[in-house]
Amino acid sequence: MNKWVYSLALLAAPVLAGASGVLGSAHSAPTEFAQGRQIYEQYCAACHGWQGEGAANWKKPDEKGEMPPPPHDETGHTWRHSDAMLFKMIAEGWRYPFNKSDRLTMPAFEEQMTAQEIQSVIGYLKTLWTDEQREYQKTESQ
Amino acid sequence: MREIIHSLTSAAWGFCVLTLAILMPALAQPANAAQPVKALTISSSGALLVLRDSGLLAIEGDTSTEIALPAIDQEAQATSLAKGADGNLYLAGPGLGVWRYDSSGESWQSLSDTLPNLGVTAMAAHATQPETLYAYLGNDGMFRSRDGGAEWVKVDSGPQETVQAFLHSDMPGSMESGWLFAGTTRGVSRSMDCFCFWGDAGDLRGTVSAIGYDPAAPENVYAVIEGQLHHSADGGETWTSLKTPKSVTALAFTPTQGLVVGTSNGNLLARGAADEWTPVHE
Repeated sequence: MNKWVYSLALLAAPVLAGASGVLGSAHSAPTEFAQGRQIYEQYCAACHGWQGEGAANWKKPDEKGEMPPPPHDETGHTWRHSDAMLFKMIAEGWRYPFNKSDRLTMPAFEEQMTAQEIQSVIGYLKTLWTDEQREYQKTESQ
Repeated sequence: MREIIHSLTSAAWGFCVLTLAILMPALAQPANAAQPVKALTISSSGALLVLRDSGLLAIEGDTSTEIALPAIDQEAQATSLAKGADGNLYLAGPGLGVWRYDSSGESWQSLSDTLPNLGVTAMAAHATQPETLYAYLGNDGMFRSRDGGAEWVKVDSGPQETVQAFLHSDMPGSMESGWLFAGTTRGVSRSMDCFCFWGDAGDLRGTVSAIGYDPAAPENVYAVIEGQLHHSADGGETWTSLKTPKSVTALAFTPTQGLVVGTSNGNLLARGAADEWTPVHE
């Protein structure tokens, strides 16, 4: 529920920003949200799910001995990582060290995505979390 | 007749000498040595710290020094020892909460003010971050402090099963700064220290009473299940049993003796290069 409120808040940002100046640029929030969502759909959704729901049984190795793609919504652990760590994982990729294969199961996207696009998709992921998770992640990012 | 008396006297003396020879080594042992070893760790100077019901002992070379435990309620139990990355000694247990030892002042400081209660059943210190501590409080879950115990924050519920023993390791490969190993009633559970998710570390099953690792080769993890010592050389993926002379109750790595275990009958044993066990004298 909270994530929808957060998404709506982002979409309503121009109005709120115009009223109070709290949420920053009047035009940037919905644009960033749309761009983040578009990048997510282009590069991430095929593995992590269109709603960030991840793969089924993502906590256990699959038949290849690889950990499946985790959710990015509130049921996953993306919110436990700082902005810097999320940026690093998207840019450089990631391999769970106990996978039976040597490949990067989370591919590196630094060739396909600009730094601004990576930041944009991280911003979008934050709309999938609860208020408490966003607060936790904000602390981790400090 | 005289010969018979002489023979009987000799036999009696022989019996006495034999009895003394059997009993003397036991009598020479410290009175507390017969108590099970509850926990082991090392101090900043490399001394082996031994926790028994009778108290806490620091063993360094040929010298043993008793460290007075904090004054605690009778119902409280000291069950966990941990050495912080800065060398500080931590003590914890159910009803006890978490304490830090000030070696210069030879006193204990309670670190439990911001914990929801004192029911700490397992604790761990971060392998490389001096101020980071972890405490497990049963149903209340896992708490972390990043300021040396001044403020504790709940970070996770922990594995599904109750945690009996807790360990932070700087084994490579984590998304964050290391790994957490939890000895549970099901076996060994493992998570990166982001608390991303807890998963089985291999298929070792049973109630884990002690867990440790080799700081010089962090992939080497050790766990005790019902007195049996197990070793994993691959970070908990696969396990093999290690033979020990007695039932193991605690373990630690020392800089000079390597793996040292404490046993149910109070002995301390160091593992040699040829996998033999030799007594550690108190």
